[in-house]
Amino acid sequence: MARPKLRLLTIFVLTALLLALGTAVLAQDEPVELRVVWWGSQSRHDRTIEVIEMYEAQNPNVDIVYEFANFTDYWTLVNTQAAGGDLACVMQHDYAYLAEWAERGLLQPLDPYVEQGIIDLSNVDESFIAGGRVDGLLYGLSLGSNSQAIILDVDKFEEAGVDLPDPQWTWADFEAIARELHDALGIYAYGSPSLGDDQIWTSLILAHGTNPFNEDNTGFGYDDDGPIIEHFKMLLRLQEDGVIMSLEEMAQSAEGPENSPIVTGDAAMQYQWSNQVVAITSAAGEGRNFRLWHMPRPEGGRPANYLKPSMFFSIPTNCEHGEIAADFINFFTNDLEANEVLFAERGVPISSEVREHLRPMLDAIGQETFDFLERVSADSSPIFPPNPPGYNDIRNNVWLPLFHDPVLYGQISVEEGVALFRAEAEAILSQN
Amino acid sequence: MTEPAAAVPASGAEQVALQSRGLARRKSKDFKRNNLVGYLFISPWLIGFFLFALVPILMSLWLAFTNFDLLSGRGEFIGLANFERMFFQDIRYGRSLSATFKYVAFSVPLRLIFALAVAMLLNTKRRGVYWFRAAYYIPSIIGGSVAVAVMWRQLFGSQGVINAITALVGFEPVNWLGNPQTAIWTLILLAVWQFGSPMLIFLAGLRQIPSEMYEAAEIDGASSWAKFRHVTLPLLTPIIFFNLIMQLISGFKVFTQAFVVTSGGPLDTTLFYTLYVYGRAFSNFQMGYAAAMSWILLLIIAVLTAIAFRLSDRWVFYETKEG
Amino acid sequence: MGQALTFDPYKQQRQREKLLRTIIYYAGVLLLAAFMLYPVAWLVASSLKAPDEIWTNVSSLIPQAMRFENYAEGWAGFGGITFATFFRNSFIHAGIGTLFTVVSSAVVAYGFARVRFRGSSFWFSVMLLTIMLPPQILMIPQYIIFNRLNWINTFLPLLIPRLGGDVFFIFMIVQFIRGIPIELDEAAMIDGCSKAGIFFRIILPQITPALVTAAIFSFYWTWEDFLGPLIYLSDPNLYTVSLALRAFADTGSVTNWGAVFAMLTLSLVPVILIFVFFQRYLVEGIATTGLKG
Repeated sequence: MARPKLRLLTIFVLTALLLALGTAVLAQDEPVELRVVWWGSQSRHDRTIEVIEMYEAQNPNVDIVYEFANFTDYWTLVNTQAAGGDLACVMQHDYAYLAEWAERGLLQPLDPYVEQGIIDLSNVDESFIAGGRVDGLLYGLSLGSNSQAIILDVDKFEEAGVDLPDPQWTWADFEAIARELHDALGIYAYGSPSLGDDQIWTSLILAHGTNPFNEDNTGFGYDDDGPIIEHFKMLLRLQEDGVIMSLEEMAQSAEGPENSPIVTGDAAMQYQWSNQVVAITSAAGEGRNFRLWHMPRPEGGRPANYLKPSMFFSIPTNCEHGEIAADFINFFTNDLEANEVLFAERGVPISSEVREHLRPMLDAIGQETFDFLERVSADSSPIFPPNPPGYNDIRNNVWLPLFHDPVLYGQISVEEGVALFRAEAEAILSQN
Repeated sequence: MTEPAAAVPASGAEQVALQSRGLARRKSKDFKRNNLVGYLFISPWLIGFFLFALVPILMSLWLAFTNFDLLSGRGEFIGLANFERMFFQDIRYGRSLSATFKYVAFSVPLRLIFALAVAMLLNTKRRGVYWFRAAYYIPSIIGGSVAVAVMWRQLFGSQGVINAITALVGFEPVNWLGNPQTAIWTLILLAVWQFGSPMLIFLAGLRQIPSEMYEAAEIDGASSWAKFRHVTLPLLTPIIFFNLIMQLISGFKVFTQAFVVTSGGPLDTTLFYTLYVYGRAFSNFQMGYAAAMSWILLLIIAVLTAIAFRLSDRWVFYETKEG
Repeated sequence: MGQALTFDPYKQQRQREKLLRTIIYYAGVLLLAAFMLYPVAWLVASSLKAPDEIWTNVSSLIPQAMRFENYAEGWAGFGGITFATFFRNSFIHAGIGTLFTVVSSAVVAYGFARVRFRGSSFWFSVMLLTIMLPPQILMIPQYIIFNRLNWINTFLPLLIPRLGGDVFFIFMIVQFIRGIPIELDEAAMIDGCSKAGIFFRIILPQITPALVTAAIFSFYWTWEDFLGPLIYLSDPNLYTVSLALRAFADTGSVTNWGAVFAMLTLSLVPVILIFVFFQRYLVEGIATTGLKG
């Protein structure tokens, strides 16, 4: 009752204010104020601020004000701003939330800016931007490409006398190799994070040839839970035999790339999104020999890998300087000097020109990441449509607490868990 | 003395009224003026309440009966559906309730006893005691920072100090943070370890006890225990009561420590109430549901607080004279 | 004089007992202090370790090589905004905030504890109820109010509400005032003192320990708060220390932990200084008041 009125009033006051401001801007030709907000750590903050200053130097009529926070705080901040109708013009966005925001009408489609040529995508392959589309419209421009990977500690493989796997390896191969490594070295073949997280679930379904959700997002896109049951039974087997870290031990070990088992030398393999490999490698220090590998696929299945944007820039609906915001995003995407500063810190750049420009400057792990993305784009499944509304609810309140954790802690059987998961998740999806 | 016995047994803020009754009898003509004076004194809080608190509180109450979505800012009235869902459908809600009650039941008494014991220990004129007070307060100021998360995880880690100590006594190493039976205890211990704020309040309370009382007891030849039992404890009851109420409220609202150390896991054994509320509101945008849960929390705390106020008649003494 | 010469076995025994007690006391207190201080020692040690040593040599309290660069790297902050700015902002936030909170809380507490007025218990209960809701749920409506007042990106939303006092301190001071014998008030009233006069002359000096405690807590809680600054202060030039510290560490990116721990160590210094400074008054409070008046 109070709420819609309040909103209306807020919108009214804001519009009046903006109109007044707009005319004032036009009349006096004062610099336009553009707000930019992102998450990250110190290095990203420094790089981004430097690029903002470069943009301001080239565009004296634009005055950029910015905010930054870490990932957790960032979402508290922007959710509050969204509720208050006060979002920044350029905001960093995440794949997990993009569709939820877009479907609530909080974001502008970027297609008009692309058509007008403000955002230049001539050097960008469609596969790199597809992840930003919701219902056919582009709501976020990828700031870097990403794919799931298994990091292999090559030295550990050599020590154990185990050959590196075939790039098109299967989960059965994974199990066999893991056992060999464990038997030879006595350490965990695989450490953390869990090989049963929700993103493994969706890529498992994708590799079996269907999308995780049906077309109108009202239910699952698959009927057979067999692959999930099979996968978790394998995890339980390996966990029981001490080949991979148990979930209890994962919960026990400290967080952060610095403490991940592959860094500390307690494990030979680790599953990670490719844009986080730099953090892992730099935490591991000099002299380590890591390689990025395709995700294992099912026997006779499609590739489990797909190209996903690591993060986006989006323009909220309430932004009144859309064209300037789009121009800034374009600068971020295509300007070579700016990208020398950004240096692929957000993931592998989507522009082929930028990639070629940066390639000679890269260190070994940077090269490896770039190469891996190229290998993946040659051998991957097309990305499935963005997660439906309610996906975060399913992930946080069903997949992890009702299925994944109790099963891997041995409290319920895989079959029981899967049945509960399907029932609860479909109840959430049926509301769409 | 005109007033019989110790204290004015009364509950809640009635004490305020009762306490000054003797006064009012004599100066009953002041009654009206006191109304004005009273409201004048509490006006800072009252104005702040009406300006900044009342509207958000009423809004959250309204939201509790809607399916309000945080991001879109839209919601419809859905009656009691949120409450029905909470009590009959939501499996995690029950888990969060039991985790919270367990935490409060153990952390609040342990923390208070520890704080009082240390306050007694430090309530002395011995040399260097200032420094000890500062030292004991330090764990509390490291608070909910990222350092605590890192350090606590390290202390209770597989190769951590705690396992090293228990190994000396011959125990097998335990996955303190990964084991659903033990994880909540690491957080209870963390709460007890950060006893600084109740300790400081106890210390301030001990400072307020007139030394004449102890001198009189000493003349009567009272032992240390007798002095504690018959002088310190009764005179400290208002402060003990205050600490109890506040620890109870903050215990139920515990958030930061679980947020940074365990994130609610393993198996939801540390999924404290506000942690769950926060997740529902900010990760799943279900503001209506989160508001409904918040009001149930308010109800729980309010009932327990009211009980504590009622029972306080029996043990809290509000005057420095006593028999 | 005579004592030195005459032999008194009981006195000697008493002295020995006293000495023993002192030793036991200090041994116990020191041992406990070691437990309490371990985190600080660990923090300071970590702030001086090289990046690769922080995690490989976690439990050691002595860094292999002192690395003071951590402090320089941390102090540099973000994009040219250094911790000098963040510290200044935190001092504004915590300093003014504490002043507002303590003064208002004392006034309001006196009203509840010593003035009889209609509705006093009702408002007291309402006040307690307001702190039983999780703050996370009130955040959004509050943000909307301050947004409409156009107070975003200023310290106003963080400071102005504090003029209403803080429920925790109001309740606490009420309890302390109730511990003061009412005869003192009565005596003053017979002397013709007004309520305000009683508050300033009788009550205020008596509750010094409570006020000092409130000041210490208020300063620290404000210093540590990041949720308020996060939402209301958008310009990095207004960021507080606690907010800046959090912006250092991100789970998905490379974090310079040495710098984080260095700045965390520095951020504790003002809080500890405030504690040491104010607790002097915690003791003086009793020395100057007593109950002889």
